[in-house]
Amino acid sequence: MHKKTGLAWSAVIVPVLIAAGCASLPDEATTRQIAEGMIKVGFSATPEHAKRLVQDKSQQICSKIGDARLTPGEADEVLKLARASIKYPQSGKLAGDWKVGAKLAYNGSGTRIRGGKLEKAKENGALCSNCHVLDPKEFNVGNIGPSLAGYGAQRGNSDATVKYTYEKLYNAWAYFPCSNMPRLGHNGHLTPEQITHVVAYLTDPASPVNRK
Amino acid sequence: MFGIRSGFAAIAVACVSAMAFAQGSAGDPLGVGRQMLAEDNPGELWVERGKTLFHQKRGPRSASLEKCDFGIGPGKLEGAYAQLPRYFPDTDKVQDVESRLVTCMVNLQGFTYQQAIKDHFGTLDRMSDIEALVAFIASKSNGMKMNVPLSHQKEYDTYKAGEYVFYRRNGPTDFGCITCHGDNGKRIRLQDLPNMTDQKQIQAVASTWPAYLGTKSTVLTMQNRLYECTWQMRLPDLAYLSDLSVAITSYLNHQGNGAVIQVPGVKR
Amino acid sequence: MAEPMKIRATLQVDTADVRILMLHPMETGQRKDAKGAIVPMHFIQNVVVTHNGKNVLDAQWSQAISRNPFLGLRVKGARAGDKISVTWTDNKGDKRTDEVAVAAQS
Repeated sequence: MHKKTGLAWSAVIVPVLIAAGCASLPDEATTRQIAEGMIKVGFSATPEHAKRLVQDKSQQICSKIGDARLTPGEADEVLKLARASIKYPQSGKLAGDWKVGAKLAYNGSGTRIRGGKLEKAKENGALCSNCHVLDPKEFNVGNIGPSLAGYGAQRGNSDATVKYTYEKLYNAWAYFPCSNMPRLGHNGHLTPEQITHVVAYLTDPASPVNRK
Repeated sequence: MFGIRSGFAAIAVACVSAMAFAQGSAGDPLGVGRQMLAEDNPGELWVERGKTLFHQKRGPRSASLEKCDFGIGPGKLEGAYAQLPRYFPDTDKVQDVESRLVTCMVNLQGFTYQQAIKDHFGTLDRMSDIEALVAFIASKSNGMKMNVPLSHQKEYDTYKAGEYVFYRRNGPTDFGCITCHGDNGKRIRLQDLPNMTDQKQIQAVASTWPAYLGTKSTVLTMQNRLYECTWQMRLPDLAYLSDLSVAITSYLNHQGNGAVIQVPGVKR
Repeated sequence: MAEPMKIRATLQVDTADVRILMLHPMETGQRKDAKGAIVPMHFIQNVVVTHNGKNVLDAQWSQAISRNPFLGLRVKGARAGDKISVTWTDNKGDKRTDEVAVAAQS
């Protein structure tokens, strides 16, 4: 009788000790495994849309947690991958029509998914005004990114400036690895042609961005 | 920015409340309106409706929700919302208030899962039963401090998974939650963004959901807020009540510990 | 659409601080639905508040009042236990009446 009780007690005490002693924050690898598992089943997505959840190499590097920083090697890798990704328009002309760019700059729609369906839009907007001041007269603008008012007035619109602006819009990580700014061209949100119009909106002296 | 990561002592909650319900003055003409809304917002009507629904005998089993266990015992509502999300032995998972409610709707009232979650997000033209119930249940923790536990292994796992996801860059916009919620004083167009790496601001957010949203004319919950975030991030539809949604909620709410709950909040 | 109101009436010395929340779409008749059709006018036209049966407020509302409106008023000469009754009527003829007793100063 006593032997039985002893065994029964240890069956209770041991698991309790294990439970009390072992509950703790999981390590990095375990966390990644658990989280990625949750992500796999955490969205109602068609196989096509589910591709959006797969991180490319740069996104993986850029997903630093808390105060963790990029190593110089990681920064170089993201820069290299970004520079290699840049595609230019067929025409070779990197500055287009600022009036078309003006419409794109304040257009925050395109590529969103609701109820499994892709948003209906004639074209994707450039999303600029969500984060940037542009035309100083427009006040319905965000501040996640720096103000771009007077962008062309300050920098001029030389070939070099236009090229830099185009490349930054196409893939912002070519100049600032892991920037908050989306890689608009690289990710297929904007076409090279659309980007040239946004470039013009920023750099053309006639653009409202550059008018006093 | 040290925030919560260096384990600072709890910040005086009174400051948060005072900030949120500032008196109006010549320098702050909107303050009067804000205070009025804070004291009496239409969300109170959802709380009333939720109370009725909670005690009503509903579903194939014609039962009320009075025996539902939200983590501190069957039928105990006072303070239950304050400690959610948490681990539940009977379902062997970490659950937020909304998924726990659905568990009870299925187990106690006999609804199928699909019946229970039908029309879970309210609209201008149609009130959601779940939102009314969540508003009521959450309101039973009003005046109490957020106190989300971290003791069961799955609670630790869920918390860390939520943190991982918060910083994960994804999709055609390369956004993570951190992209928009990682700095002070930021806004998307004219919508102010809370810095969710700053404990004070996290507390202000965690303690005011569910909320009545002026632009939607209905009470909405954290499940809805997360869905709308992932929509804007160009990700696919966030699955309602998924472990993923609970993980993000756990990560946020636990950091909100110490905040005095005041729901339903009122937001744009 | 006659959902119950939420009415709070608290006594402050000799004045009842009355706060009323109403659930009502307050459609202006100018909004278009998802299909592009006009959503017809549907709004509260009249609100009457009585104190122990005596009219203390008679309001004519228009479409300018927002959805799920809030009404606050102060009634002088009130005492704990007094009846505050609120009735709204809308342009479709729907009506709703709710009442509370003035709560003593806490």
